[in-house]
Amino acid sequence: MTALRLALRTLRREWRLAELRTLILALALAVIALGVVATLAARVERGIGASAAELIGGDVGISTPSATPPAMLAKARQRGLRVSRSADFPSVAFANNQTQLLDVTAADHAWPLRGTLEVSDAQGHTRDTHGPATGAVYLDHRAMVALGVKVGDSVQLGGSALKVAAQLVRQPDGGQLVALAPTAIMSLADAKHAGLLGTGSRAKHVLLLAGMPQATASWAQWAGAHLPRGGELITPEKTQQRMRSAFDRAGAFLRLTALLSALLAGVAIALASQRYARRKRDEVALLRALGTPRRRVLALLTWTVTCLALPVALAAALLALGLSEWAWHLAGSLIGDVPTTLPWWPALGAAAMGVAVLVGFALPPLTRLADVPPAAVFRQSLSGRVRRLDGLYLVPLVVALGLIWLQSGSLKLAGILAASLFGVALLAMALSALLLWLAKRLAPGVHPSLRLGLAALTRRRGLSLIQATALSLGLTALLLLSVISPALLNGWRAELPNDTPNWFVLNVQSNQRPDFEQSLKALDAQSLTMAPLAVGKLMAINGTPIDQMQLNNARAKNWADRQLRLSWSGQLPEANKVIAGHWQGPAPAQASVSIDEAWRDMFGLKVGDTMRFQVADTTLETHVSSIRQVNWRSFKVNFFLLLDPAHASVLPHTWIASFYLPSARSTALQSLSRSYPNISLIDVDALLARVRQIIDRVSSAVRWVLGFSLLAGALVLAAALASSAQERRHEAALLRTLGAHGRQLRAAAACEFALLGLVAGLTAAIGAAGAGWWLGQSIFRLHHFVPPLLPLAGYAALAALVVMALGLAGTRAVLRTSPLALLRRG
Amino acid sequence: MSDPASAVLEAHDVSKAVTGPAGRLEILRGVSLSVPRGDSFAIVGASGSGKTTLLGLLAGLDSPSSGRILLDGHALHDAGEERRAALRRQLVGFVFQSFHLLPALNAEENVMLPLELDGERQARQRARQALDAVGLAPRAGHYPAQLSGGEQQRVALARAFVHRPQVLFADEPTGNLDQRTGHAVGDLLFDLNRQHATTLVLVTHDMKLAERCAHRAEIVDGQLEPGA
Repeated sequence: MTALRLALRTLRREWRLAELRTLILALALAVIALGVVATLAARVERGIGASAAELIGGDVGISTPSATPPAMLAKARQRGLRVSRSADFPSVAFANNQTQLLDVTAADHAWPLRGTLEVSDAQGHTRDTHGPATGAVYLDHRAMVALGVKVGDSVQLGGSALKVAAQLVRQPDGGQLVALAPTAIMSLADAKHAGLLGTGSRAKHVLLLAGMPQATASWAQWAGAHLPRGGELITPEKTQQRMRSAFDRAGAFLRLTALLSALLAGVAIALASQRYARRKRDEVALLRALGTPRRRVLALLTWTVTCLALPVALAAALLALGLSEWAWHLAGSLIGDVPTTLPWWPALGAAAMGVAVLVGFALPPLTRLADVPPAAVFRQSLSGRVRRLDGLYLVPLVVALGLIWLQSGSLKLAGILAASLFGVALLAMALSALLLWLAKRLAPGVHPSLRLGLAALTRRRGLSLIQATALSLGLTALLLLSVISPALLNGWRAELPNDTPNWFVLNVQSNQRPDFEQSLKALDAQSLTMAPLAVGKLMAINGTPIDQMQLNNARAKNWADRQLRLSWSGQLPEANKVIAGHWQGPAPAQASVSIDEAWRDMFGLKVGDTMRFQVADTTLETHVSSIRQVNWRSFKVNFFLLLDPAHASVLPHTWIASFYLPSARSTALQSLSRSYPNISLIDVDALLARVRQIIDRVSSAVRWVLGFSLLAGALVLAAALASSAQERRHEAALLRTLGAHGRQLRAAAACEFALLGLVAGLTAAIGAAGAGWWLGQSIFRLHHFVPPLLPLAGYAALAALVVMALGLAGTRAVLRTSPLALLRRG
Repeated sequence: MSDPASAVLEAHDVSKAVTGPAGRLEILRGVSLSVPRGDSFAIVGASGSGKTTLLGLLAGLDSPSSGRILLDGHALHDAGEERRAALRRQLVGFVFQSFHLLPALNAEENVMLPLELDGERQARQRARQALDAVGLAPRAGHYPAQLSGGEQQRVALARAFVHRPQVLFADEPTGNLDQRTGHAVGDLLFDLNRQHATTLVLVTHDMKLAERCAHRAEIVDGQLEPGA
């Protein structure tokens, strides 16, 4: 305990030391940045999760081809979860001598548990509601148009006469893009009473649950292990492909931002602790000379760091909680009106990580202090000898890698960032070494003032290298945050340009196609694409009937059982890339099929394998000609299986179309719907809006976090410049004493810092561009992403100027002070 | 300005006061002195008596609160820091008790500094000669941390004389050295002073060193008492 008392006394005495203040500030900022980012990220992710829950109508659920097993319900009730039951099935409705096939959802009155069921009355006033009462039905606009009914009329559905209680405006739709028919929502009790859900019906039974996250997670885990045949878990993560990738990307962006802020603070801590260790060297030498054993010195230093770290980290965690609550209120309207509670664990986690960063980055120089020999009190040169690099210096590297791993939550993201930053460090060192070599050679021939600046760089060779590397790492992180991250977000946004198809049309017959296209052109519909669509089944792979194959993959089993959508094309569609084999072209000798990579993985297919399909009475034996990578986020019509036109066009088929029509003109489509009563028009504006909303939410959160990251970046800059401040001050005082002009000192400082800034800016620009490109390709899958080189170069130049300006600002203080006072200060 | 008989350094009624947490503190009061060109002048006094402050004022490192200081005829008391820096570069050399060598520069580079500041093209060659004069040419490439205290002070002497200053200010030049080394450094200081015909202003509490100067004065409670 003596060591603890001594440590506390030491801290009290050293409270005013600049390097200790930097250390405290860096630690506090690391914890605050991590804490605020992690808390905000957790809230935004919860918010995004809540949006996903709104899409499916509950937090989690299960769909089964027959009635939901009672155990599923019992286990949910045991966990205190709210439940809702519903069933989805197709049914034909009759009214006014019209018939229309409808997609019906029969739901209880608790449905939906999350999200909104929005309906409008006869006057067009909208309200949120739940599943209808018995005897009532909600119909969407298409159904009402097709059946020629209005609110208050009666329709026959499933053998019962139901009153149209309201028009359906919006419902939790699972984020499904393709709803084949107009929609109706009726009471579950009515559907049961009418016998629509009995054995042999095509109903999909759905049980949805909502409640505490732990309870839903535990139920989902249990249910996943006890799935009945044909049953499928419904989770926010498993919602429609486009939404899922949007969530994944959103999470990756936020994690990336948090991680970079933490690493910035880590660099500041490393620099401040190096400086603190240098300051402590004489004191440790004195303690050793006075007979303090090495072990005790180590205990003293450990206690000092601990006593410093714990209260600062905890206070910063509390501050982070307060700030994130404030940020949430301030940015609430930007991030979205999602009610979430303040999670406290990310801030505590941040405190723990902050301490780990402090220990990891400060430990090596401080531990090495214990090796200062007692004789160093007589000869300073002896204390300098412990400045060696050894295994201990791997600790910050391990801590940094651990931090990257913990924060990124993805091995790939962690690997890319770690490799990029390591590359930046190496490049910074190489460029700095080159600069120092050049400086030494060029110095004799340049103006005396510049020579002083070049000499200053080479004089503090080690420090110059550390400064340039730290500045480069700091600037890279800042450029990644401020230039690359928004550019990636823009790249993501650009995937959904304004003329992204917002309408899909199904069931266009071949003989209707020319007139239908003309009608759309008349409406000024843009980006029109049409593709044939045949519905069939997979019968055999490589000659083995599919029902005799041992399929271990649940998705594969599901596909093997169900109807497949097949299309054909002579040209490779726009959002597709062949990754194996060759594109089949319009008329290959053999019937060919090109498969999506997901099918390769599910069925273990390779180029040259055969697949037999049956479409109505026609059987088609094909061989796999190529494997494609499909951009499923493109909102274009895409298919897992593409046949060649020469062999497939004989198959019975309809056409699927996609086009863009401004929302304001969508009413014009009603006449189209009346002219072609068999077609199904699907509005995907809402889905597009959801993806765009997620992008906007992430952008807002990233912008918010950027403020903290900039602070961390400023601290790195300050710590990097402060790391040589003492030497610089003494040197300037001496030069001043020997008669140096103010302008000589200013020119020397400008030259030195401009070169440092240039190396750091150049390295950071190259590093950020490389890392940005890599992240764009591998993590965010933006294959056309090109890092914005001009802004990067601009920011890099700006960074060099800022470094120079700060260096000059430091010189101003020296110039204003009497050299005598500076020399006395040592 | 370079009349051999005239005083190269004059102080008239110089005072220096600082304001600290305990209020205004007068360090020097009414100090007047005159040092003829080529002469040597020792200022002695107890620790804290104001010796180093007076030296700093005479060398133009700081400004007096009141009074006048003339260095080779140039008024230091009303010159700005830039002007004083220019005068120091042209006219003054320094030797400090704690050597004040730049740790990241080797011996030769430390000696080159005043010449480089003046834009001297032959800086390296002249620094070599200066180091040779103090017997340290073989250690030109060594860094301060690799040199003993005596050797560091010899490098500081080489640096002080390398640009042939009019006046050399020495603040306790042997204070950090043992008696023998201190004596050797003292010999070297006076030898170089003679060779370069430099005026020497020495602050010390080493009476033996002070006695080697032509003139002496003692500071007591911030006031100069001649003929110590």
